[in-house]
Amino acid sequence: MVDIKVFIAGMGVVSPAGRGMKSLKNWIKQGGRRIRPLNLFAVSSENLLPVGEVSESFEVLEIPRSHQLAFAAAQEAMADSQVPPDAVIIGATTGGILTTEMHLKNHVSDPEAFAYHAVGSVAEYIAGKYHCKGPIITVSNACSSGTTAIKIALEMLRSGQVRRVLAGGVDSLCRLTYYGFKSLQLIDPAGARPLDQDRRGMSVGEAAAMILLVADEATSANAIIEILGGGLSCDAYHPTSPHPDGEGALNAMREAIRDAGISPSVIDYINLHGTGTPDNDLSEAKALKSLFGDNLPPLSSVKGAFGHSLGAAGAVEAVISAISISEGIIPANTGCQTPDQNLGLDPVMEPIKKKTQIVLSNSFGFGGNNAALVMGISREKKPAPAKKNLPLTIEGFASITGVGDIDKTMECISAGKDCRGMSSLSEISRALQPSIIRRLKRLPRMALALALAACKNANLQETPSSVFLGTGWGPLSETYDFLKKLFESDEQFTSPTDFIGSVHNAPAGQVAISLGAKGPNITTTGGDYSFEQSLLTASILTDKIDASFLVIGADEFHETLSPLFDPSVKGDEIRSDGGGAICLKRSDVSHGPKLCPVFFENTADNPYIIPTLIGKLGDFRIIEKRFGTIMVGIPSACRQEGEKQLQEFLALSDFHQPVIDYRRLTGEFASASAVATALAAEFIRNGKIPASLCDGDDYSLDGKGILIVGFGKFVTAIEITP
Amino acid sequence: MEQLLNELNLKIVETLNLVDVAPDDIDPDDHLIGGKLGLDSIDILELVMMIEKDYAVKIESKELAAKVFSSIKSLAGYIYENSDGRS
Repeated sequence: MVDIKVFIAGMGVVSPAGRGMKSLKNWIKQGGRRIRPLNLFAVSSENLLPVGEVSESFEVLEIPRSHQLAFAAAQEAMADSQVPPDAVIIGATTGGILTTEMHLKNHVSDPEAFAYHAVGSVAEYIAGKYHCKGPIITVSNACSSGTTAIKIALEMLRSGQVRRVLAGGVDSLCRLTYYGFKSLQLIDPAGARPLDQDRRGMSVGEAAAMILLVADEATSANAIIEILGGGLSCDAYHPTSPHPDGEGALNAMREAIRDAGISPSVIDYINLHGTGTPDNDLSEAKALKSLFGDNLPPLSSVKGAFGHSLGAAGAVEAVISAISISEGIIPANTGCQTPDQNLGLDPVMEPIKKKTQIVLSNSFGFGGNNAALVMGISREKKPAPAKKNLPLTIEGFASITGVGDIDKTMECISAGKDCRGMSSLSEISRALQPSIIRRLKRLPRMALALALAACKNANLQETPSSVFLGTGWGPLSETYDFLKKLFESDEQFTSPTDFIGSVHNAPAGQVAISLGAKGPNITTTGGDYSFEQSLLTASILTDKIDASFLVIGADEFHETLSPLFDPSVKGDEIRSDGGGAICLKRSDVSHGPKLCPVFFENTADNPYIIPTLIGKLGDFRIIEKRFGTIMVGIPSACRQEGEKQLQEFLALSDFHQPVIDYRRLTGEFASASAVATALAAEFIRNGKIPASLCDGDDYSLDGKGILIVGFGKFVTAIEITP
Repeated sequence: MEQLLNELNLKIVETLNLVDVAPDDIDPDDHLIGGKLGLDSIDILELVMMIEKDYAVKIESKELAAKVFSSIKSLAGYIYENSDGRS
């Protein structure tokens, strides 16, 4: 197999330096602090803090600021490109929440007003603008999201599945993060001063950066910079504090350097995560010392200039790293007056001219997530170890539905009943230690219960290496409680615990901490297709991982927020939630059903999507031969469109075996497909489908597999075969 | 003061959802951080918010919090001295 190289073919950015690459280039040359007192929304004078705000204002108010920032950056990145990207992968943490906050504050009750709330809606909006057929992935990994998105794009391109990916990160300022970080006492009232002896914290910022990545070609003048490698890790240590010795950060940097096929000594510049919090800068410094010893290249953090734009930061800093290489300039570590002796780092105090060929860029975040990228002038490197392409083997699985765990769910289904509804919090928490979960609300408890049950079902003797979690709406209870307390107290009081819990990747972080899973820890979000995004991401990133790992899909129903956010909720009189978890391992020897996420495309502008799916699955004769049953997921908000797609699929595939419309069983919630996947694994293990689902006797699968198909806004397919 | 101590015990158990702790079990001299209650920095921040809300007393830095939260007794003392007699 030929090594595929991944180049930057276009870049776009909106940051506190201004709109466009030119403004960022100018800043890199000149330096200067762009942190100013917050202006975007009104706060009381005693709450007024410096932030990294983009001066741009947008006229169309229905579209949230994050979406507009992302589009502005995408327009620039795509300016020289006439062909749609094959995939869009965006890191983001809060999506349309700035708009949502305003509506919640004003007690708006029309779900239409929340149409762009979802964190995943930014990537869908951008994909729509560029007619991208997909896949579309939104990484919500807190402050490492942007860098992680680029790493996933890198691996997707290397896999040969796609040729062009628009990747990046975005986050707008919003009350949630502004007051949230304040409540954690992580804000420096004087503005972030990374690496300074008197540093007291970060400044929250906003930005968007998009990068068009292409496989193996040099299509424009920009396409000389290559993404050489990336590394991901999880501290599995604490929800917010970094590992004190920077263990996870070190692992991510090591992996990125190994992946790039270089040695640390050739790195010309390190773009630090450098938030300016006492703990972050110290643990990052320790990790750097462990890796480089006393031979550290020039290094700087830009967060004293721009603040910390959270999900966007890694993408913005990848763009800065690229400019640093193309212009031969290293940006200044703005905001630092006297470097902290205890860190033992020597930051670049003023912009310097220096030939720069290879850059390491770090991003770390809540949940103990660490990501590092190596980029540089394209160079020969020793060929990467051959891909193994071993199948994903299901070692164990678990689910939670309205009636309880998977055993109770199977019992219920076999008796001809559905399993809609919501399990009680005590039922969900049954196997969880009270002292561990006292701070956890509904979604993280579900995630933890699912993870433990799947490991138990797999009879797992080892620690799972990685955790992938898809959630359509994230931790709604924590988000709601945080904002409620904030608004009820006239923006005076909040709950730091709720803020930490409100982050989309908090549940996956909890799972990692509980299990000690130190490999990649990734949370994806995209409405009803979040679990599929997660499976796809896992399949892309685990090619070289030998150990077992978990893929989880979970969503909670929330009395106030679910009916506002999820348009499918109103399609069922019973409120449902739950999820599923699959424990997987790359292996061709271990027994157990095999899983393959085989299809993920956007329905918009894609008239031949069903024939394309059928082509991907083989052809119509093969489908009938390979699969004994098709489990179909049609979110109620897309019933009409989904039914049409299903009929087209059945007609074209000439499929005459049982079709299970699984949302009729699970009820309406975004991660219903994760339950379906766990059930399918159980059916395969039993070799049959319960009679209640196929009008008559138990239906023997006769060695055939089960195909799980999602219809609606996206069409997805997961194969599960014995 | 006795009343404030009892009140704080109750509020701490409630605010932090300490399911296996009875308010009376908390010794006024017990270490709050890393002691047998098993509290960490996030709990302390949650208590900082509670104390600001319920007693109008601000504890705005980590260093100060470490001192104030060394025990319930020291916390009560700090609230007493800084709350303009409101509690």
